[in-house]
Amino acid sequence: MRISPTLERILPGAITFAIGLGVWQIVSLFFLPVYFPGPGALAERMIALYGDPASYVVIGETLARIFEGFAIAMLAGTAIGLSMGRNHAVEVFFDSWIMVLLTFPAVCWAFLSVLWFGLSEAAPILTIVLIVLPFVALNIWEGTKAVDKDLLDMGKVYGADRRLMLRKILVPQLMPYIFSSLRIALSLSWKIALVAEAFGVASGVGQKLIYWFQDTRVDMMLAWGASFMIVMVLIDVIGFRWWARRAFAWRRHFAT
Amino acid sequence: MMSRAGTIGLRVGSILLLILLWWAASRLMHDPDVLPGPLAILHTIETDLTTPGPEGNSAFLHIGITLARIFIAFFASMLAGIGLGLAMGLSRVCERSLLAVIPLLLTTPTILMVFVAVLWFGYSEAGGLVAVMAVVTPYVTVNIYEGAKAMDGSLAAMAVTFRARQPLLVRKVYLPQLLPYIFSAFRFAFGMTWKIVALAETFGLKYGIGYMFFFWFEQFNMSQVLAWVIMFVVLMLILEHGVFARLERRAFAWRAAPAR
Amino acid sequence: MPPETTAQIVPGQRQGAAASPVIAVDRLTKRFAAPDAVGRFTVLDAISLTVEEGQFVSIVGPSGCGKSTLLNIIAGIEPYDGGSVRVSAPAGKVGTEPRIGYVFQSPRLLNWLTVQQNIEFVLEAQNVPRPRWRPLVAQYLDLVGLGGQERNYPLNLSGGMQQRVAIARALAIEPDILLMDEPFSHLDAITARKMRFDLVEILERAKPTILFVTHDLSEAVFLSDHVYMMSTRPARIFKHVPIAITRPRQPEDARIFDLEKTLIREFFSVVEARE
Repeated sequence: MRISPTLERILPGAITFAIGLGVWQIVSLFFLPVYFPGPGALAERMIALYGDPASYVVIGETLARIFEGFAIAMLAGTAIGLSMGRNHAVEVFFDSWIMVLLTFPAVCWAFLSVLWFGLSEAAPILTIVLIVLPFVALNIWEGTKAVDKDLLDMGKVYGADRRLMLRKILVPQLMPYIFSSLRIALSLSWKIALVAEAFGVASGVGQKLIYWFQDTRVDMMLAWGASFMIVMVLIDVIGFRWWARRAFAWRRHFAT
Repeated sequence: MMSRAGTIGLRVGSILLLILLWWAASRLMHDPDVLPGPLAILHTIETDLTTPGPEGNSAFLHIGITLARIFIAFFASMLAGIGLGLAMGLSRVCERSLLAVIPLLLTTPTILMVFVAVLWFGYSEAGGLVAVMAVVTPYVTVNIYEGAKAMDGSLAAMAVTFRARQPLLVRKVYLPQLLPYIFSAFRFAFGMTWKIVALAETFGLKYGIGYMFFFWFEQFNMSQVLAWVIMFVVLMLILEHGVFARLERRAFAWRAAPAR
Repeated sequence: MPPETTAQIVPGQRQGAAASPVIAVDRLTKRFAAPDAVGRFTVLDAISLTVEEGQFVSIVGPSGCGKSTLLNIIAGIEPYDGGSVRVSAPAGKVGTEPRIGYVFQSPRLLNWLTVQQNIEFVLEAQNVPRPRWRPLVAQYLDLVGLGGQERNYPLNLSGGMQQRVAIARALAIEPDILLMDEPFSHLDAITARKMRFDLVEILERAKPTILFVTHDLSEAVFLSDHVYMMSTRPARIFKHVPIAITRPRQPEDARIFDLEKTLIREFFSVVEARE
């Protein structure tokens, strides 16, 4: 029997997926849905969530905090990473701060931020910044070390000033690092936001998670978790794929 | 080019500056509950380490239990990850089925994993272990899988012509080729592990540093929270940079220095 | 002598002043720290040479003897440890610093910019007024035989074409001084020969001062007014040969061939004696 090549490619994955769903459903029959929801039960609750306009307010609050923290961390982190790449003294000075900051677990910052700022917006945003900024700085710094020195020399010989060098030589080479930092930073940011919200504020998806945790409702926890994960995955896929195509257009012209 | 002494000096200087800023901020705050200064915290740490804690347990008990959990979870995750990654590299079936599940596990936020594990396994060690493994194993697996894909097929083929069997193949042909990938996963996985253990201890376990975080947090005792945070961070820094960095350097000593 | 000195750039003197050499290198010395950090070894040892305005001067030596380092020092992107280096604008260009164009061994193009944008990059760096950009790009791309390639990306071009873009880039700023570091050594023999002819033709019109570095003695004899021969480790100039053969020159010219033979014999005897 002839199978079309596309079908041949997705069939094994699809079969595995279907088997997985089946196993899940069977196992769930042994438990109460509030304790171990099957695929159907979970889907039901998620649909209810998406259908309720109040959910979007909750999700919106979390998204706002994520993006604020993420933006600050990216901007400040990139600036610091760049200056670390340019100046050896700056590099040595900051790398110990970065090492220390990277060692702090999210939960520590979450606690400390709440103790300092109480149940306010600042707490989750600060938590995100304190964790993501060092990571971004480190990543961008690595990128500056990988810049082609020959091209920098060429620019110097032809008398390019600092701004021109930055625009035309440095930043294009840093784009892959900026790009990968952005993606990972966003992914970190939203997970941290959930932890911070669980302890620190009275709203948002994280707060829902801890609410249902304290109510021992695994089904609702998973429903909120999965619903939010889907939102973040969509943002990642749509946002970054589109941007990647534009930013790396010159690579597609590669003939060989 | 800065001399070695200059570099070390600058590093130490930057840490000292951080502590100085902390001290200045704490003085500005007046209220010792908001931001205790470095000296106060030092004193608190001293007290914690020398006298029995709030429930009659010494700080060393908590620290020891946390360390034990970290190491057990870390090794379990590494072993599982290496096994699964290798299996993915060798078997298409494994590859296909795990590829369907792993991205999901990698995207799931840690806190959700911890919550679910605690609710399913109760306040037990199993819960904490499951939570860590659910997050760290997929990460290690993906890393080792990349390494397995990059393995030299001709070497395995050669071994098979000499009738080598799986256990020998794994030990002498596969694992050595995976070593760089294992090492690269090692450090990052360790970093992830202790953060998850800290989180799991906060919610679901008795004893441990995370447990103490939450205990003092509930009492709004800033001094104690800071004291325990610092003890934890210092301990992890020593482990990360003292132990792991040294291991890494020795393991990669054979790599030729890159040409100028 | 402070260790991190770079070449001294001299703006143009007033009109009618006695022309000083455009490039004056006097007992230049450069040391590198050895990789095993035991002392420093000398790369360039008391190098002296001069280049007058409008001359084509070549430096010939085996690969790796420090010729690139010498050019980098003259271009001002590497410091030196002893002696002096003066780079002056031609007489008559009052008050302005000399314009230096550099063609490297590898094209060093910015692969994420089109050919046109690559040339515009150096025009912007040299503060050439924007309205002049398009005509300059078109003119010099035509000159190197790449008219019409403006919108293409470097990765789509062959090695020879990329190098020609690099030459067009160097010429587009209408340099007073053109530094060339073995620009044809990575090209196949046929392309390289064609490009040598093209270069001579191009320079007929533009007439910059040229310092050309190569390991190919016949190339040097064909192209230059003066040849300095260099030995290795440490690098020293051991001979200076003026080439009096009139232009235009044919590579098959007997005079060139004879001169080459003599120089080659001498060259190898010195270089081999050092081994």
